[in-house]
Amino acid sequence: MRPFKFTTVSDISSATNSVAGKPNARFLAGGTNLLDLMKEDVERPEELIDITRLSLAQIKPLTDGVNKGGISIGALGKNTDAANHPLIRQNYPLLAQAILAGASGQIRNMATNGGNLLQRTRCPYFYDVAMPCNKREPGGQPGCGAREGINRMHAIFGWSEKCVAVHPSDMAVALAALDAVVKVRSASGPERIITLADFHRLPEDRPEIDTNLSPGELITAIELPKNRFAEKSYYLKVRDRSSYAFALISVAAALEMDGNRVVQARIALGGVAHKPWRALKAEQLLVGQEATEANFKRAAEVEMADAKPLEHNAFKVELGKRSIVRALQVALTGNRS
Amino acid sequence: MQEKNKVTGTPVSRIDGILKVTGKAAYATDYPVKNIAYAVLFKSTIAAGTIRSIDTGPAEKSPGVLAVITHKNAPKLNVEGGIRGGALLQSPKIEFHGQHIGLVVAETYEQARYAARLVKVEYDQSKARVDFEKLSKEAALPKDKEKADAKRGDARAALQNAEFKVEAVYGTPIEHHHPLEPHSTIAEWQGDNVVLYNSSQIVNGAQNAAAATLNIKPENVRIVSPYIGGGFGSKGGQWANLVLTAVAAKAVNRPVKLALTRQQMVNSVGLRQQNHQKVSLAATKDGKLTALAHETTTHCAIENEFVEPCGDCSKIMYEVPNSLITYRVVPMNLILPTYTRGPGKSTGSFALESAMDELAHQLKMDPIELRLKNEPTRDPSNGKPWSSRTTVQCLQEGAKAFGWEKRKAEPRQNQQGNFLIGYGVACGTYPAHQRPSSARVTLNRKGNAITARVELAAADLGTGTHTILAQTAADALGLPLNQITVKLGDSDLPPAAGSVGSVGASSYANAVHDACVKLTDELIAKSGKQFFVRPTAAQLMVSENVADYQTRVDAKPPANADQYSSHSFNANFAEVRVDIATGMVRVTRFLAVTGAGKILNPKTARSQIIGGNVWGIGMALTEESVVDPRWGNFVTRSFGDYHVPANLDIGAMEAIFIREDDRASNALGVKGIGEVGIVGVAAAVANAVFNATGKRIRELPITPDKLL
Repeated sequence: MRPFKFTTVSDISSATNSVAGKPNARFLAGGTNLLDLMKEDVERPEELIDITRLSLAQIKPLTDGVNKGGISIGALGKNTDAANHPLIRQNYPLLAQAILAGASGQIRNMATNGGNLLQRTRCPYFYDVAMPCNKREPGGQPGCGAREGINRMHAIFGWSEKCVAVHPSDMAVALAALDAVVKVRSASGPERIITLADFHRLPEDRPEIDTNLSPGELITAIELPKNRFAEKSYYLKVRDRSSYAFALISVAAALEMDGNRVVQARIALGGVAHKPWRALKAEQLLVGQEATEANFKRAAEVEMADAKPLEHNAFKVELGKRSIVRALQVALTGNRS
Repeated sequence: MQEKNKVTGTPVSRIDGILKVTGKAAYATDYPVKNIAYAVLFKSTIAAGTIRSIDTGPAEKSPGVLAVITHKNAPKLNVEGGIRGGALLQSPKIEFHGQHIGLVVAETYEQARYAARLVKVEYDQSKARVDFEKLSKEAALPKDKEKADAKRGDARAALQNAEFKVEAVYGTPIEHHHPLEPHSTIAEWQGDNVVLYNSSQIVNGAQNAAAATLNIKPENVRIVSPYIGGGFGSKGGQWANLVLTAVAAKAVNRPVKLALTRQQMVNSVGLRQQNHQKVSLAATKDGKLTALAHETTTHCAIENEFVEPCGDCSKIMYEVPNSLITYRVVPMNLILPTYTRGPGKSTGSFALESAMDELAHQLKMDPIELRLKNEPTRDPSNGKPWSSRTTVQCLQEGAKAFGWEKRKAEPRQNQQGNFLIGYGVACGTYPAHQRPSSARVTLNRKGNAITARVELAAADLGTGTHTILAQTAADALGLPLNQITVKLGDSDLPPAAGSVGSVGASSYANAVHDACVKLTDELIAKSGKQFFVRPTAAQLMVSENVADYQTRVDAKPPANADQYSSHSFNANFAEVRVDIATGMVRVTRFLAVTGAGKILNPKTARSQIIGGNVWGIGMALTEESVVDPRWGNFVTRSFGDYHVPANLDIGAMEAIFIREDDRASNALGVKGIGEVGIVGVAAAVANAVFNATGKRIRELPITPDKLL
């Protein structure tokens, strides 16, 4: 591990001031991903700002503002606490399921909600400094090891010749489906709100940039609007091992029903793109339709028609269709486990 | 199999269990050696070629760095000294991706790891041979004479004329041992002598290899390895890291600690090789096998050959007049393959026992019945009588215990909601051998309180060796278990076999038992008395007023052992649940029925069998080390990518042991269970997946994409 400076801060403004103008400084929260990457020499920060003493762990109902009736999830709350919070279990079971589908119990006990959004891809070419990777070594000519390499786990949507990596988070997939917003602060300027849909970005020509956070910005909270999905939602994660494995495909599905007719549908996919992939085409197709297997299949077909698989991941197209249908079916039955 | 008033054969908890769960059992890197420095290896980033230049200047100037050792300044070592896999820093030649090319020694681990990244290496690269799918076509006869083509009758002709036959190729990927404790060493020189605290499955083997490679005498090397955090074959042979720690300690004139990282494990300490196995079976319509051909194609290292014996099970499992076992091997730029749990048998049984299931399906015959019809009365490979063989009992008792009658004969007939349910069976076997081992037993008496110390350079992989030897000694001496101390894993103790190839329990327990009998004999002789009832050593210490007594034996296998064919046998039963939409498989129930001679401790034995079963389930469903065929690097370098089964992957596990008394195998009738627990497991799972889905998956692991 490279030598680095370690700074402890105790409030938001000293945190944001500490990183202002320092492109090689990073906030340290749970450290479950950042420290791994530092040990592997992938992340090379010159300074870590320890923000764990900031009071940003609270989960509370929102009593005013545009998301009144919704919930605010503190950025520094632990994943485990978010998944087990009664308000989240009651009103956003999809989010609880998604969080519990990720990582392991030990990691969730350390990992924070803000950090979960900022975790980096687990592409093995990104993680191995002996391998070429545009995300790790931008600007040069190293190329993307995975583009023509072992890319079974990689993207089928929105990839570029420079990067075919996928975002690893499960939590973010549920947040994308539930129209979450991310609140951020910086040393200069007022609080900014970024929708989850716009929070992560596609790789295009700059795969080293995962999100639309500006340098120096600190996530303070994630907010979820009130919704009517709690009775009918489901997070399905298909993976090579039952626990502690990243998704081949995951589906966050939520339905608001009027009898057997779909009033609103929310579908987001994980393990398919550089960001949580909101399946807007499938959602639109379902609105006003009867919740039948045939309609679910049609929606899945339409969404997956745009997929562009790589050499080793063509199976994700068929698996994606089946998984969308299955997740919607289970959601419809009112799974709340 | 408990005898009256005996502790042997009873489910005793590990005597070192409390030490381990409280963190007091010292593993290799836990020794509180003073003034220690830390070494970190750095590795090649190409798979084939030569180091053109290596700039260690910035690393040497980095804070805390004491030495940087590469092929340019490493001492001359004997590369034929018995260290496996090369990478001893003796030349600029690169033979595989991730070969050790040097190490940094520093005051702290962090300083060493940082400085290792500052070393700049330039290579002259040559074309790497790393694409097995392409290279397997060039595979040729191995150098190893034991892997020559073995023919009995004319299998090819019998296959040509067969009424029923199966001909299929089964693929198994590279796997890694990945013991939880990575390979680790502390080296401490005292003058010309070096102590190596090291994790070793063969204590005396590590001693000899280290000595020979360092060009010193074995008596100048002491290996200390009382506890091992898993090995699975990767700590049987010793690898460069052991000797390079000694080299580093000599260079800085201080004790040095070197522990591999998880990422370094993939190309430092061997692997289970990738295999293509073609199995051909011919049978009559009533299920009598007429031919069995098992043809394995695999890879080895560029310079050294290791070929796991995939055809071994096929040699002995079934009565068949025409048999052909062959091996073809191709050198590749990958680290040397090595012994990996159930070497050859776990992979070979996947191919053979899948093919048997395919044949049974073709014949519309129950797969258990097919196996029973081809049960051999003698070892078909050499005509020797079995010391004992329990395949029939394993199958029959297992079928009863598992509820085999509930299996649907045709696939896809058992659907429950979103899942298809299937049952599978497969058999396994592993040779049972006793190897020469010595043991020393010392009795001490204070008043009427007697304690015993049992000592030998045996290895306890974490499987309970300390415990079974305490049980053996307690019974043989007439002492309670808690008055026995067992000391293992030190080359200063009487030499012993390795804990490899399922020889540990039989070799060690027989040696300890013999030593206790001899000690008792000597005390009787010393007393000059005649006894109508043979007294125990404990009684003699009191009656003859002896304060201290010690003896030692050099135990050997029975002289007539090779007149028999001795093996452990099992039958594995799996129930799987396959998600129809997603292809995710879960093993909901698993039963292994094992005939392994005398079971010294049913509790630790059960754990060991279940441990083997879990790895077998991992082999079937999740484990695969993937090589990038362009560059020869592993892309699966962490537990996030290399999927050993998690708790959620494993359903209800049950282990049953067949009672048997096989004294032809060895005096105690102990046959060993370490290897056999994984043999036949993957096939049982794959056969259950076929029974559930109708899909025959011949390429492991059976990941969801293969079942869509």
